[in-house]
This record gives sequence, C-alpha cells and structure tokens, in this order.
Amino acid sequence: MEYANILQDLLKRDEYLIVGKKVARTDALDKVLGRALFTADYVPKGTMVVKVVRSLQPHALIRKIDYKEALKIPGVIRVITASDIPGENQIGYALPDQPFLNDAKVHYVGDPLALVCASDEYSASEAVDAIKVEYNALPSHLTVDSALASDAIPIHDGGNIAVKTRIRKGDVAKGFKESTVEVEETYETPYQEHMYLETEAAYAIPEGSDKVTVIGTMQSPFLVREKVAKILGWSLSQVRIIQALTGGAFGKKDDMGPLVCAEAALAAVLVGKPAARIYDRDESVAYTPKRFPARFRYRSGADSEGKLKAIEVEITLECGAYANRSPFWLWRQTAHAAGPYYVPNAAIDGKAVYTNKVYGGSFRGFGDLAMQFAAESQMDRLAEKINIDPIEFRLKNILKTGLTTTCDQLLDHSVGIEECLRRVAEASNWSKYVPCKEGSRVRGLGVGCAYHGISTSRGTPDWSACSLILNQDGTFTYRTGICELGQGSPIGHAKIVSEIVGAPLDFIHVELPDTSSTPDAKPTHGSRGLMLGGTAAADAALKLRDNMLKVAAEMLECREDEVELKGGEAFERGTPSNKISFSELAEELYARGISPASYGFYASPKRYFDPETGLGVNYSVYTFAASVAEVEVDLETGETTVLKVWPAMDVGKAIDPLMIEGQIEGAVSQGIGFALMENLILEDGVVLNPFFKDYIIPSALDTPEIAKPILVEKPYKHSAFGAKGVGEPAIISIVPAIVNAIHNATGIRFNTLPITAERLYDAIRRSRQ
Amino acid sequence: MEFSFILNGKRVVCDISDNQTLLDLLRDSLGVTSVKKGCEQGECGACTVLLDGEPVTSCLVLARRIEGREVTTVEGLVDDPKMKSLREAFLEEGAVQCGYCTPGMLLSAYSLIRSNLDPTEAQVKKAIEGNLCRCTGYVKIIEAIIHAAKKLKSE
Ligand code: FES
Ligand code: FES
Repeated sequence: MEYANILQDLLKRDEYLIVGKKVARTDALDKVLGRALFTADYVPKGTMVVKVVRSLQPHALIRKIDYKEALKIPGVIRVITASDIPGENQIGYALPDQPFLNDAKVHYVGDPLALVCASDEYSASEAVDAIKVEYNALPSHLTVDSALASDAIPIHDGGNIAVKTRIRKGDVAKGFKESTVEVEETYETPYQEHMYLETEAAYAIPEGSDKVTVIGTMQSPFLVREKVAKILGWSLSQVRIIQALTGGAFGKKDDMGPLVCAEAALAAVLVGKPAARIYDRDESVAYTPKRFPARFRYRSGADSEGKLKAIEVEITLECGAYANRSPFWLWRQTAHAAGPYYVPNAAIDGKAVYTNKVYGGSFRGFGDLAMQFAAESQMDRLAEKINIDPIEFRLKNILKTGLTTTCDQLLDHSVGIEECLRRVAEASNWSKYVPCKEGSRVRGLGVGCAYHGISTSRGTPDWSACSLILNQDGTFTYRTGICELGQGSPIGHAKIVSEIVGAPLDFIHVELPDTSSTPDAKPTHGSRGLMLGGTAAADAALKLRDNMLKVAAEMLECREDEVELKGGEAFERGTPSNKISFSELAEELYARGISPASYGFYASPKRYFDPETGLGVNYSVYTFAASVAEVEVDLETGETTVLKVWPAMDVGKAIDPLMIEGQIEGAVSQGIGFALMENLILEDGVVLNPFFKDYIIPSALDTPEIAKPILVEKPYKHSAFGAKGVGEPAIISIVPAIVNAIHNATGIRFNTLPITAERLYDAIRRSRQ
Repeated sequence: MEFSFILNGKRVVCDISDNQTLLDLLRDSLGVTSVKKGCEQGECGACTVLLDGEPVTSCLVLARRIEGREVTTVEGLVDDPKMKSLREAFLEEGAVQCGYCTPGMLLSAYSLIRSNLDPTEAQVKKAIEGNLCRCTGYVKIIEAIIHAAKKLKSE
C-alpha cells in the first residue's frame, strides 16, 4: 500500500489544507493558561506518600533489611519489601535481570530495596533514613575494563557481557588493502542525564479489591500496564493506566513509566489507599537511567579517490547495573556504525558490559548519537589525510537511492541526505568560509551528517492502532496510545485526520491515552509516534470517511465521488450550496446504524534480518540529517560558544513545519549540552552532581542563532502523506558538527565528550608546549 | 499559624507551618497548580511567581515571609493584555512543547515586557535565563517574547 499516493489521489487536492501548514497547536492553549494538568496536579492533599529505600553500596549481598524502627515513626503506614510482592519481582526490559525490589543482592548505588508508605513526605523521608540494611560487600566493577577482566566477579549470572552484536559485510581485509589512507582512533562518550523539567510521578487509586488505576508520566501506557500487572500478579484487564500530560520524556520516561507506576500501584494495592509517588530531582538524576556511556575503537580506510573502502568498528557499551535497553541500543550503534555512507566492506562487533553503576536507558538519538560522533570524526580525519574538503569527501561516499547500508539493506527510495548536505553547505557559505581569529578568540566551521532508522530494528514487526469516533454534534474523538510528551505527535495525528475527514482541527479532540479505552499504539519511542501512529490515524480516518461519503451522497442526492468533505461540511462538488453540516451527517449515520466509529490499524512492511551476519532489512526507513555549526573558542579560557547552526533534515513529508522546527531547535540545545557541558560525575559509583546547579544544561544564554531549518521532503511510500520520524534524528548530526568546528577553529580534536572549557583549556595549553 | 496575603488580587487567609515554602503553600494548600515543581532548589524556574511584581522562585521563599504581600501567578493574569499578547505569541510561534516550564517562563517574560516593550534579544535571554526549558531550545520562546512586545508597542 503506497499511502502517500493513495491519499493524494483520494483527496483530489493539489495542495493540502492542513498537512504541511504551520498551525498553532490546539493542545497548547491550556498550557499557556496554566490549566494543563500534569501527574502531580491530580494528587489530592493528604494522599499517602511512597518513597524508595535504596542501596548505598555499589555491589553487595543483602544480609538483612531491618525496618522495625521505621514502623515506629508516626505517620509511617507500611514498609514493602520483595517478599510482599504478590506477582513477579521483575522489571527488566530486554532481559530478566532487574528485580523490582532487591532482596538478595544490590548492583549499584541506588538499587531499590523497599517502599515506604507514609501519611506525609516528612515521615516518609524519616522512615527511609531509619531503615537499616546490612550488607556483605563484594568487589565492585566501576569501569568496563574492570568488569571484563578475567578475574572479574559476575554482576549477574551469566557473566558481565549482557549481549553481543556483529555485522560482516564484504571483505574487510581486502578493503583495507585497497585503501591508501587509514585512520584508527578510540572515542569515548559519557552518560547524559535527560533533565526533563518534570520528574517521574504516578498517582495510583485502588478500586475495590482487585482493580487499580494509575495516572502517571510515561511513554508507553501498554508497557506500563503489562509491568504493573506482572508485579501485582493480576491480569491486564485489572489494571488501568492513564498517561497524564508529561513534562518532557526524551526516552527516559519509557524506562521510568513502568517503574514509577508500579511503585505507586503496589503501595496503593497493598495498603488499600490511593498512593502518590513523585521523584525528587536528585533521586531522578542519581538513580534512574541515563544515556549509555560507550567506547568505540574505529578503523577506517579510503582510497586516493576519496572512496571509503572499509571500516572495522569495535563497540563497548557500558550497561551499568542492568541490561535494560542495551541490546537495542547496541544494535542501533552496530547498524549505524558507518554513518550515512556507502562502505563496501565492514566488520562491526559490539558488546554491552555490566558495571556497578547507574544503568543506561533510552535517550533521544538512541545509541546513534554517540556512534555518529565517532563516525563523523573519522570522516573529518580521513578527509584531512587525503587533503580533500570534508563535505566533498562526504558527498563522494554519501548514501543514495540504489546503494546499500552497512547491513546490506538496499535503499530504494526516500534518501535525502545528499540534498541535506548540499543545502547546508550552500546556506552556511561553506566553501567560502575562512576560520578567523580576533584577539584570543578563534572561529571555525564544522559539519555533521546522520541517519537514523525509524521504529524497531532488526526487522522486528511494528504496528500501531487507534480509534476515531464521529460524535452526534459533528466533532470527533480520537484515541491513540501514542503519548503527548511535548513533541506533539498526537496533535500531528489530529492534523492527518483533519485533512482526511475534512474537519477543522478544533473539531478533533485527542483524548489522553487510557488503557481502558485507547487502542494499543505501541510505545512512543524510536521516532515512530507520527510515522506509525499517524498512519494508523490515516487508516481510521479513511474508513470513517467512506461511511461519511456514503451517507452524505444519499443526503445530497449525488454520487459519492461528487461529495467533498471540507471545513466540517459535506457538499456537492461544483454545487457547494447543496450541503449538510457534519452534525446533520453524524445524526444520519447514527440513525441509519452505519458505524460512526472506526478502528485504524497499520503494520509496517515485512522485513528480514539475519542475526548471524547482521545483514538484512534492518529498519523500514531512515530519516537523514545534516548540520553545519560555527563555533567560537576563547583560547584564554577554553570556553566554546556555538554561534550559529544550519540544520537540514529529510523528513519525508513535513506534516507540521513549525513542530519540526521546534524539535530541531530543542535537539540543537540538547546536543550543545552533550557536546560541551553536561558532565555527570561519579565517585565510587555515587553520582556527585544530581542537581541543576552542578549538572549544567543549556539555558537561554547558550542559545545560538539557528538558521531556518531546511526541510527536504523525500516521501516514504508506506506512511501517511510520506512522513518520517523527526524527534531523534535532529540531535544526531549537531554533535559532530560542533566537535568538527572546534577542530577547525583550534586544530584540536577531541575523542572524548563533553568538551568542557576546562578540558579544552588544558588541551590548548598542551598543544602550545 | 494563620496569616494572610494577596493572591492574584484577592486576600487569602490560610494556615501555614513554619518551614512551608510558598511553592508548597500555593500547590498543596491553595490548589494553584500552574506553579510547577522542578527542583526545589531555586535552579529551574518552573516555580516562578511574581512577588510584589518581581519574579521569584517560590520554592526558595518561606511562606511566612509573604504576610501581606502580593503574589501573582498566570491564573491572575488571564485578562491582562500583556499576558494575553504573550500567550498568543507563545502559541503562534510554537514556543510551547511539554508546557512544564511555560507558566514560569511566561511570568519572567511578563515581568520583562511590563517595563520594556522594545527588548533586545540579549535582554530577553537575560530575563529568562533562570527559567530552564529542556524541550524547545529557547529559540521560539525568545522569538515569541520579542514579537509579543513589538505587537504591544505598535498598538
Ligand atoms: S522548583 Fe523552584 S526553581 Fe526549581
Ligand atoms: S516546553 Fe518542556 S520544558 Fe519547556
């Protein structure tokens, strides 16, 4: 089914009415009025408070958890430990290695041991401090090298390697033989904390003796339901999950949704009272998943013409205490290791390694961000060695329709990276740029490219569903499990529906996801929310449109193909005065017993993948991005300022350019943070800077000038209007652009992030010696 | 301890405890949920309110210190023309994503444009420096504030 064409055809429009237009978000009104409700806003005063007792040791056997004293504190209602869990004590995502409450062993500083339920914050905190845990300390592994040492003790049964990946394409030895230049380097990327403004929160309300409703922060209501039900030992239908408006997520709330909701739900069910569980800022930073740190040994070779011949990449991913998403993260890095370039020969090996530190998890750019930092640094280094312009070198190798990825996936359409790159080069006046110096300040320009497979990897089937109801008054109720996290996917769906059924956007009401009434749309991650979810929305809208057309034709006494649906009215094309309103139409549908509701479903096309070689159709489609950044470095202080960024992205089809710009600008800011500022400091496994004051994220003062994003549209055949995901790819190209610009300005190349003023200052001093 | 202050133009009498913050008083006791909690350390700006017209982080203000003083939140400025113009600009420019920082951001912006209808970009950045936003990258927020001010000036 080629959705992009079908829609164009069906709607008989040269130009869309809503899709592709900048339309103010109808869902943002409550937010500016201060009326938008987030999870904590639903919690009534006096609700029972839940807090978590955590391990203070990085690696130890638990001898005893003694909470007798805690129970004597006035206000303390109950302490819950592993033995109280009625269902399965397991919350691991990819592997069953993560107990919900630990009773045998702790794996990092912060591992949960017990839940305290109290009538107020104060007594809950007091109780947490009063609980005594006795440990038998074990040697801890605080680096991957320590965990991989031959005498390392296993953090989990089965050893310290959680998972391995591998790709073999062509003949690498031959490729390097054909190369005239070679570069081999090792890169390291750090943890990054999400630092969304709203911390994790859940409010659970028990109903009778065998039901619970949880309102919370999350990205995947149905995953949350599954995990909560498992811990309670209940069926899915006994658990109802509602996603409240969520104050930023960026991946982590996909990991934390199940945890925070299960903490509240278990307390509520065992005590029999509503329970609120809200994370403190330092708790959220110190103990919950981060961007996985990684190390890349990267060797690449090119011939004298500037053609890439071979890459050999070894990825060591640090999981931290639990595997969590590491298998998926590592696969993404493995699959995207080459960058958006054609390489005939590739050998890529990855392993994810446990350590006794806070564990990694989903974060915008999912593995690809760190990977492209390494790949794009290699590209610049190769260009330098061959003595060719970095953009020219990239263009010689860039992926195009008809070429294959490192996984040998043939790209047969929707490949816009070349255009992105050419256009940012032009916009930034790349070829004319001369790095300049003024006093102690030097300026430079750098480029970064990226590609990012949308939705699930390794050919795993992906699908999405939704429902749409035409109400009697002519308005619509739309339900999707795709969550609003700030990115605006659900409102994007509403635009697609609005375009297809011909209703103004404010006729379409998007309900908050609620597992008791919303169809499962699968998670809001992998930049799939609009592409997969939006295509299901198109399916629902097309089905309902059929019924509307049928009845409207009879009411208007004309043929179905003469009926136009527009502006909330149905009229006869050519005779617009022959018309009925959607409310009249809706009533007629109800009266005739013709369904005023539809269920939309979309499954991505079938793919194949061979786990042995790592070859196959890994992702259904890729979003491409390129950025150029100009930086200024103060040689006296080592301080870097990003002056201007020129971003471009191949988005398939821009459903809403304003929202895409917002995604890109937000990503630039997070990318600046990752490249230059954000530095989580751990000592003996303890996070030392869990607050905004010492884990610095960009403020308004760090905002560079951002040129109007260049949106390239190479439609994807199988999605509504041809759209591809944009949330994640936006951040990936900006980081290497900044790093390469710093090199252009200073001649110094960094293999480790972040490039803080201190590090840069040291490097400048060293380079002068 | 019973005390009173002016909230959004109306006198409120309430009971507070000794170490209660203004943020907790507003959210927990008075149900003013537009004031958000992001850090309780005075660093994120989500809890910004106007105290006697000046933006402050309410998580750092002890409730007992505001006896008789005037506190304003976005709820109190629903009909204010300057706030209205800011709201419209935020919507039109796409300055709102998750919306968690938005009420605090609007109040800092409001405080700026009340005294300056011709702010430079640098002045706008300075005014919202203490209001962190992790979603938007600030670009559209800055544009929205400048546009709102321009529009008000031309009226
Ligand atoms: S909650 Fe007050 S500044 Fe963050
Ligand atoms: S819009 Fe999400 S923090 Fe500002």
